[in-house]
Amino acid sequence: MTSLPTEPEGSLEELYEHAPAGLVSLSPNGTILKANRTFLTWTGRDASLIGSLIIDLLTPGGRIFYETRFLQALWLRRELREVAMSVLRGDGSELAVLVNAVVVEGDDGDPRLVRLALFDATERQDYERDLLASRRVAEASEARVRVLQEASNAFAVATTEAELADALVASARDAFAASAVAVVLVDAEGDTYLAGGVHPLAGFAEADRASAEMAMIRQSGTLTVSNLDEVRPLYPALADAMLDARVEAFSIIVLQDVGEPVGALICFFGRRRVFDEQDTALQVALGRQSAAVLSRIRLQNELELLAMHDQLTGLANRKLLRESLLGALGAALWHERSMALIFVDLDGFKAVNDEFGHTAGDAVLKWVANQLRAAVRSTDVVGRFGGDEFVIICENAGADEALLIAQRVLSMINANSHEFPDGVRVGASIGVALHQPEPGLGAAPEAIFIAADSAMYRSKQSGGGQVTLVQL
Amino acid sequence: MPPAGPETIDAVARNNVSVSGNPDGRPMLFAHGFGCSQEMWRRVTPQFEHDYRIITFDHVGAGGSDLSAYDRGKYDSLHGYADDVLEIMEQLDLDDVVYVGHSVSAMIGVLASNRDPSRFGELVLVGPSPRYVNDGDYYGGFEQVDIDSMLDMLDANYLGWSSVMAPVIMGNSDRPELGVELTDSFCSTDPAIAGHFARVTFLSDNRRDLSRVTVPTLVLQCQDDAISPGPVGQYVHERIRDSILINLTATGHCPNLSNPDELSAEIRTYLG
Repeated sequence: MTSLPTEPEGSLEELYEHAPAGLVSLSPNGTILKANRTFLTWTGRDASLIGSLIIDLLTPGGRIFYETRFLQALWLRRELREVAMSVLRGDGSELAVLVNAVVVEGDDGDPRLVRLALFDATERQDYERDLLASRRVAEASEARVRVLQEASNAFAVATTEAELADALVASARDAFAASAVAVVLVDAEGDTYLAGGVHPLAGFAEADRASAEMAMIRQSGTLTVSNLDEVRPLYPALADAMLDARVEAFSIIVLQDVGEPVGALICFFGRRRVFDEQDTALQVALGRQSAAVLSRIRLQNELELLAMHDQLTGLANRKLLRESLLGALGAALWHERSMALIFVDLDGFKAVNDEFGHTAGDAVLKWVANQLRAAVRSTDVVGRFGGDEFVIICENAGADEALLIAQRVLSMINANSHEFPDGVRVGASIGVALHQPEPGLGAAPEAIFIAADSAMYRSKQSGGGQVTLVQL
Repeated sequence: MPPAGPETIDAVARNNVSVSGNPDGRPMLFAHGFGCSQEMWRRVTPQFEHDYRIITFDHVGAGGSDLSAYDRGKYDSLHGYADDVLEIMEQLDLDDVVYVGHSVSAMIGVLASNRDPSRFGELVLVGPSPRYVNDGDYYGGFEQVDIDSMLDMLDANYLGWSSVMAPVIMGNSDRPELGVELTDSFCSTDPAIAGHFARVTFLSDNRRDLSRVTVPTLVLQCQDDAISPGPVGQYVHERIRDSILINLTATGHCPNLSNPDELSAEIRTYLG
């Protein structure tokens, strides 16, 4: 067994000065009181370092980290381990270090001294820097893929424009940390409306004073505004509106369907933003996905519309008429008020078909459909039952209203159209079934329908061109 | 989307609000800066307990706040934090508040009071900076690359963090007993949130909000403050109408930790 030397180090002083770690003592305000030789050698400094502030040995970024993360935690925890930082050498180069720190308290419990032990971490830092860089790249691309995947899942289950818009809003908020997101869509009439989200500048966009600026914004299509100062010289009114709405930056992506603009995705930000290519690419990708889904939803709506409507006249077909009648009867019973079903059968239509052909017949039917649409109230439902038979369902109508509507239909059809070929004349026989429900006692839809049909038949029997009303 | 309904927001729970001191006293609301939690006021608040009603809280993402309330969109600007301050004031029905904001919370207070000055009595801004990055003639103390390197450092120090700390933080919402451990690990935050808050804090520009302040304001400036250097404090003082600037003898960026007595004494003198 080897015996241990009694004094392994020449002196404790020597151990301190040459310890394999930089040792530094600080006053509570960060003044360097003492530093060992290892530290001075590593940092290429001399004893004149004593008396200066530790913060002066840090990079500007390191100072922020030191003051906000390091120091606050140290004061509260009294001890920190393995904090990765950089220290500036005398020649201005950086030395990566891991720092352990401990607060030494005086008798009163107040900090008297801070002791630091620093370890050279150059290799570790290089490694970590690479690790960090590659992790950031990986995370960013993973995040983009995730956003697109989640968006595509959410879009897939959307059945209405509003659901799609909400899904797009949620995706964009998540992906870009936007304080507000608006999805604006163009409707069938070519007007824009807010389909989802929040539009903090909507008031401005609709104001008259904004029209010139809005026109320019609309023209520019995809647009990013990084900060308010960028906006002010060009669009002062918009800058004021942004200030009021606490919007500092925004981006607009136009949603396009086969080259046609169908809407816009607008992201609003509460602070300055620099939009990099990847941000823009992701916005464009979201926009493209959602525009495709929008066109699918619109097509579906169109098909549904077709399934419920007569192809020639665009009026409700039997299926929709039946649903409307059930609805009207239910409402009549619930509110205990009367409703009416008006049955219209054209007089002289068979002759038009026979003498002038089906094209002329179709033109007459379309014209009649338009007359009916114009003659009824906005809440009434007009349908084509078949051939030259039309039905009008009037919710909340008494005898007076129902007769008024029926008379109006009659006189509008009797006026005929000057666009008809010479010799084409049609008239109408009309039957009105008025239903006044008793409390708790409704009527079967068939009963109303048959009553209106027989009333129409009576008008026809009496020579046509008149209205007959029955009550039930 | 339907308009936001009158949903009840429990700001007190969300922001881990604690109320102490004199229940009949004038309310004093302390807001912590980036990098820590309300813990950093613990040597200041006792000095006001006797005559003020003390309210401290954690910003969402910090300390014992409700991490599930962290909405990246909302907290992508200081306005989101300012809204929280107003909601806390509203829920506690505070009036004539002395708002003491350190570091980034100084600007959060400015934004909140500009939005609704009615509940504010005074603003006390400790080490404020409306913009950290230099811009033309404006001196903020930093360049963009400095902020980037700070964010790198932040991330580097979190490399080993998630495995050790994440279970503690994440488990907190359904296991309140872990709150004790949380308080022990001062200034711990979720790395993703810390990184985002750092970006929002150090890349914000709120210079134009200063001239809109209408609440009486005290600006407290430390010596050798590397984060908010003297000229920045001067800038804030010059832009806020009728504000008072006091230069502390305390050094560094955190007088609430390094010299709580002087900080408290100056606030007390100002309040009279």
